[in-house]
Amino acid sequence: MVIYSFYIFDRHTECIYSKIWLPPTPNPPPPPPPSTNTPTLAPPAAAHDGTAPLPPAAPSRTGTHVDRRSVSAKAGDDAKLIFGTVFSLRNMVRKLGGEDDAFINYRTAQYKLHYYETASNLRFVMLTDTATLSMRSVLHQIYINLWVEFVVKNPLSPVEHKGGVGVKNELFELGLDQFVRGLM
Amino acid sequence: MAASKASRLGEEYETPKAAPPPAPVRPRLTLDFPRDRIWKTRIEKVNAELVVLTYGTIVAQLCKDFDSDYVEVNKQLDKMGYNIGLRLIEDYLAKSNTMRRCSNFRETAEMVAKVGFKIFLNITPTITNWTSDSKQFSLVFDENPFADFVELPDDNRAQDELWYSNILCGVLRGALEMVQMQVEAHFISDVLRGNDTTEMRVSLIRYIDDELPPEDD
Repeated sequence: MVIYSFYIFDRHTECIYSKIWLPPTPNPPPPPPPSTNTPTLAPPAAAHDGTAPLPPAAPSRTGTHVDRRSVSAKAGDDAKLIFGTVFSLRNMVRKLGGEDDAFINYRTAQYKLHYYETASNLRFVMLTDTATLSMRSVLHQIYINLWVEFVVKNPLSPVEHKGGVGVKNELFELGLDQFVRGLM
Repeated sequence: MAASKASRLGEEYETPKAAPPPAPVRPRLTLDFPRDRIWKTRIEKVNAELVVLTYGTIVAQLCKDFDSDYVEVNKQLDKMGYNIGLRLIEDYLAKSNTMRRCSNFRETAEMVAKVGFKIFLNITPTITNWTSDSKQFSLVFDENPFADFVELPDDNRAQDELWYSNILCGVLRGALEMVQMQVEAHFISDVLRGNDTTEMRVSLIRYIDDELPPEDD
């Protein structure tokens, strides 16, 4: 089982958490770019460019700068695309199968997308390789044992997680990483 | 703490010993168990008197802060409850292992009374007095853990103005809002005031629609 990435969307349709795991072997190109951690590297690059106000003079440097920016922008776009997709699919599924029906996963030639939605309209999405069995219960467990325990029950975390505030706490991240690595 | 939580997660994912060898490692499903059995195993207990005294202190402090303006105290309690409810619903969903929505408001009422109140306060209020359109019901509290040892102040106003357990109305309002039901809840009688029963009236105002993703192009 290979898990590529994981996203949480809140009821305001915002992506409040995303994490991407590097695949153990770099051979199969995973659908999302292995890049969420790069935003932390972006500020130094921007500072370098700022001190040298000659964009055309340093083609290689501006090249990497643009590349990094586009990579993090792409991660954001991916999240939006994923939300749009699962949201439409879920609505379509409910139209065809009745209000109680639930969209669980879909599969392409490259990956499988798993979906779990709580009654409070929190949406959990996980991308894995195509051979993985249903991860619905895994997503449910992440909700019960990690989200509720470490994010909701943290008295200092806000009720709404605009921009992901309160989600990226150490216990949640650590628990999620350990849990997912344990599955792989 | 992180380690203990993580190991708990791990335990739940152990493959059952009796599983046939070729079976792939699969999380053990706990979803088919009867609902009540699940949450009974997940409930942590807390000393009732601690709850009574803590809640009493909050109400007493509010009365002091607002110079015994009981209307305002009711409002504050409701607001506090609302903020609790917004979070509590997630814990409710986790503990009750609810995987699907209630199909109608009557079912919601049942779940509130028989699962919600049972989990968090270990009481089961009675559901009565439905209106014919199934949008309003009453919860009658035969027992109310918040009100143990309580006597309302003897100032001839508290008996008529203060709803001592008003925090519960807010909790219900906040929790149901998170599962897309806008409700209004208020007490209409309280044994603390000398009424025969403690009764809360809950009315469904509307179902809240899903939020749509913003258009971007």
